[in-house]
Amino acid sequence: MKQALIILAAALLLASIRPAAATAAPYEGYVYSWWGEAVHSPIAYLPSRSITGQEAGGEPWQAANDLFAAADGSLYVLDSGSGTIIVLDREWQLQDRIYAFERDGEPDSFRNPEGLFVTPSGHIYVADTDNSRIVELGPDGEFVREIGAPQSDVLSAGFTFFPRKVIVDKAGRIYVIARGVFDGIIEFDSDGVFTGFMGTNRVAFDPIDLFWKTVSTQEQRDKMIRFVPIEFNNLALDGEGFIYTTTADRTSLSPVKRLNPSGIDVLRITDAYLPPIGDYARVRSTFVDIDAVGSGVYRALDSTRGRVFTYNEDGSLLYVVGGLGNQRGTFRNPVALANHEDRLYVLDRDLGRITEFAPTRFGELVNEANALYAGGKHHEAAELWQEVIKLDANYEMAYVGIGKSLLRQGEFKQALTYLKLGNDRIYYSKALAKYRREYMQENFGFYMTILLGMLLLVLIGRGLARRQRKEAKAHAVSQGS
Amino acid sequence: MQFLREARYTLHVAFHPFDGFWDLKYEERGRLRIALAILLGVTLTMILKRQFSGYVVNFNHPLSLNSINELKYIVFPFLLWCVANWSLTTLMDGEGKFREIVVATGYAMLPLILVYVPNLLLSNVITLREASFYYLLESVAYLWFLWLLFVGTMTVHQYTVMKTIATMLLTLVVMGVMIFLGLLFFSLIQQFVSFAYTVYQELALRR
Repeated sequence: MKQALIILAAALLLASIRPAAATAAPYEGYVYSWWGEAVHSPIAYLPSRSITGQEAGGEPWQAANDLFAAADGSLYVLDSGSGTIIVLDREWQLQDRIYAFERDGEPDSFRNPEGLFVTPSGHIYVADTDNSRIVELGPDGEFVREIGAPQSDVLSAGFTFFPRKVIVDKAGRIYVIARGVFDGIIEFDSDGVFTGFMGTNRVAFDPIDLFWKTVSTQEQRDKMIRFVPIEFNNLALDGEGFIYTTTADRTSLSPVKRLNPSGIDVLRITDAYLPPIGDYARVRSTFVDIDAVGSGVYRALDSTRGRVFTYNEDGSLLYVVGGLGNQRGTFRNPVALANHEDRLYVLDRDLGRITEFAPTRFGELVNEANALYAGGKHHEAAELWQEVIKLDANYEMAYVGIGKSLLRQGEFKQALTYLKLGNDRIYYSKALAKYRREYMQENFGFYMTILLGMLLLVLIGRGLARRQRKEAKAHAVSQGS
Repeated sequence: MQFLREARYTLHVAFHPFDGFWDLKYEERGRLRIALAILLGVTLTMILKRQFSGYVVNFNHPLSLNSINELKYIVFPFLLWCVANWSLTTLMDGEGKFREIVVATGYAMLPLILVYVPNLLLSNVITLREASFYYLLESVAYLWFLWLLFVGTMTVHQYTVMKTIATMLLTLVVMGVMIFLGLLFFSLIQQFVSFAYTVYQELALRR
């Protein structure tokens, strides 16, 4: 009786011990399994701090549209409403506020600028949208030059230049996305001379439209909607000089592109059934901003559900951060994202607020493991993937990572288990081929013996049967029937 | 022993269909229980195949596997085929009785077991590169089954080749019609029931 009571008490005690709740986050972590089902996963990033215009010491941001994180960790915010650039340092102290500059002795300012970019040397490029120009400012906010509308025969006569986003590569070439330009990214050389378009989106057309177009008359055709490619809505530069672009097209299967210098999409998508398009839901994600993180990882900001999707270089989803809502860590109208080291910043236009996210233990592990994995250090990565599995037993990429490492170590049988759990058929098949060969080499003697034995038995059996039949015949003959 | 001898005869039918199906009908060698056993065997094979095919060729979601589905996709179409075929051939001067149709269709399904079972074992040791052999064998089994079904139908009803093909295609159409009528029937019954229930409710709740 006493024993029973003690056991009961122990059981109750055990039941009352619950793991301490992780810091509550106003959103859920998930990834997609191989089957395309959303699977819970630990939260990878948690909001660590946030700042609004007033908190930065100044006016509230009326319509902040772009955000840039410089290499030293300072943040550049572009408030389109007041045409101001706000510079915050690492500790988020107000460093500078640029709302006017002097051009040729005349005071000048921005009108509804929508994009900015800061070069490593500290030069600020602003897409001064309603003034139809790109403005370059020096590190201290002094005017350097302006680049006006591109001059070219390929542009139609009524073309007006509304630059929205701008980036500058290492060689000083300037890439601009402008409103209503469907030919792709506008490219200027380092002197600001228009050189051409790159990376046009393909026209999406549907056979039914094509049919109607072929049977309709010229007048009817003129009244139809023109089939034009969808314009890019944002772009970002990665460490290798490739350009990531996003397209706000909910029908496209390639809203994210990675353009090489000649404008060809080289984005790697390993699983064609699960391309990097955000949520696999009926209402698709709309990517509005993208940023490269390093070792092939990029993050895309979805305005439909206010989530940041982080993909690795194979196009596999690593984790999802954020959501729409009114709590810290959620957004009302997220418009831009930026990265510095392992931090993630999201700018919310309606709330006029920047939120900083810091990685949790899970996020750190995934980042680190993925970086090692991308660098080909499979064994080091596998150790971290083991840790990831402890936190999330449903994380398929971790199983694949471990499986590949085991495969290289020659542990074929174990590799099979892990690769199956990770749903990687290609590597599973490779491991199987190796395992099969190894198994047959070890057990060849055994199976051969069995085979030969069976063959012998069959032969003997046949011989016996034949003799019996012969004897039966002979017997029948001798009986004289 | 008798059962075993009958079961062995199915192999003869599979490999010598013209001779085999003739004997099934005219030499009274067809057994209903063998046909039904083959049907059961095919169902079992399909269940095992879904569950235990090698990972390289197995694309079934483990959580969505349901053995009842095999009844839906094998036993039900089998019965539907037999009924549709009988209804049609009765009108089209077919000589087959319903029992003969069931027997012929059942015996024709043997290749599915004969090929799928070894293929199932094979699938566990093949790689992606060799997977085409697996799919080849799958198609062989399917074509073999169709061939036997064709010969079976032709023999049972004593049709010409063209008429057999036409009948088989028409049987598919009739199957569709039957499914449509079935759905219509159930939908109507549902309407009736809900109407009667509404009337009852109306009366019961009235004061």
